[in-house]
Amino acid sequence: MVPTLVAAAVGALLAAALLGAAFDRRAVAVVVAAAVAPDLDAVASLVVPGATNALFHAIWLPLFAAAALYWDTGVSESARFRARFGWRGVRIAWVALAAFLVAGIGLDLFGSAGANLLYPIHDAYYRIDGQLLFSTQEGIVQTFVALGAEGPGILPIASPGTTGSYAIPTWVNPDGRPGLSLGADRELSLVRSGWQLVVVAAAVATLAVRFGQREVTE
Amino acid sequence: MPSTVVHAGFALLLAAALLGDYYGRRALVALLVVLVLPEADSFLGPVMSGAHRTVGHNVVFPAVGALLLYYDTRVRDRSLVRDRLSDRWVAIAWVAVFAHVFAHVALDWTHLDGVNLFWPLQDQFLALDGEILLSTADGFVQTFVDVQIDPETGARSVDAGVTGSTETVHVNNPVEPRDPAIVTDEPVDRRFPIASSGWRLYLIGLGLFALVARRLQGPEPDAE
Repeated sequence: MVPTLVAAAVGALLAAALLGAAFDRRAVAVVVAAAVAPDLDAVASLVVPGATNALFHAIWLPLFAAAALYWDTGVSESARFRARFGWRGVRIAWVALAAFLVAGIGLDLFGSAGANLLYPIHDAYYRIDGQLLFSTQEGIVQTFVALGAEGPGILPIASPGTTGSYAIPTWVNPDGRPGLSLGADRELSLVRSGWQLVVVAAAVATLAVRFGQREVTE
Repeated sequence: MPSTVVHAGFALLLAAALLGDYYGRRALVALLVVLVLPEADSFLGPVMSGAHRTVGHNVVFPAVGALLLYYDTRVRDRSLVRDRLSDRWVAIAWVAVFAHVFAHVALDWTHLDGVNLFWPLQDQFLALDGEILLSTADGFVQTFVDVQIDPETGARSVDAGVTGSTETVHVNNPVEPRDPAIVTDEPVDRRFPIASSGWRLYLIGLGLFALVARRLQGPEPDAE
């Protein structure tokens, strides 16, 4: 999976981009926590077979949360959440939800280990990887979406396997299977490639600028 | 190159993160111009060897630009820029420098033969590639910069991913789809990449998501 540090960096960038007037240290902390939360399913995989990138990488949890939040803040008469936490609370909740979905799940879906989007209703990992280009010789070449791709998936996206056939190693669970393997070598990845280092550096610089600005104006 | 669309995607997110109250359509258009302009060094390729990824893709020009902007707007008694432009456009100029360095130069630095980072001070293409991890077996490991100490002489050699100079490196682009030094009879295939891997498509999507989310957001209360 994509290193958790990179998910935190994308979460921080989303926080700076979307929080608006609700931007402060605490709000950024909440959003970054939401961005890294999906990776906790690696801990669950010690007990539940194949939970890594499946249990909290499915779309059901954020979908349900979004529906509840939308109902409470937009449709319902009582608006309990808004009454209790105010405008600021509602904004932070929406941005945290976006970070969970886009930074937490999205990063693993695109060209990385893959995410089990429909787990547990339909068990298959999906990974969006390929290329899109225009060539003067071959015209438009597109290999991200694969209709009728082989594999266990039902979405038109390449699937590397199911929770049974495809184990994702993490530093919490080096072999990706239930059970503590105390003696195993563990590797905690911080950044896997150049572009991830760039994203992390850009996030650090952005937060430094934003918090620096606040201190000047306050 | 990661395509201009990828640069624009990441730059959109950075712009939304940094512009604050100055975020708006005209600011974004100005930013896109700054992002596309450096690619014009592709067109210098036919007259200058290795011009692409050199003239428009270094950190020297943005550093000089930032210094001039800082000197003019903060140090001088009377600022030339402030006389002509409002605070809004000074802020946008700062964000444009930031986006150019992180979303354009830095991303190209990680791709193929990298960029000629310190041109014109030093003619050397550098490629950023590697990983950082903590391992129970090896401790802290980073492979971006390779530092080697010769066991006999004790001399230290540092390799930060040097790939060559303007004489030897040619980064393919639609203007010059292949190294001019190579002679072949194959038909010319000009390729305009949009996203050539999953993470590049992700960065495009990330920028569009920030753009759409900013539009959908409700108004902010004035005082809270």
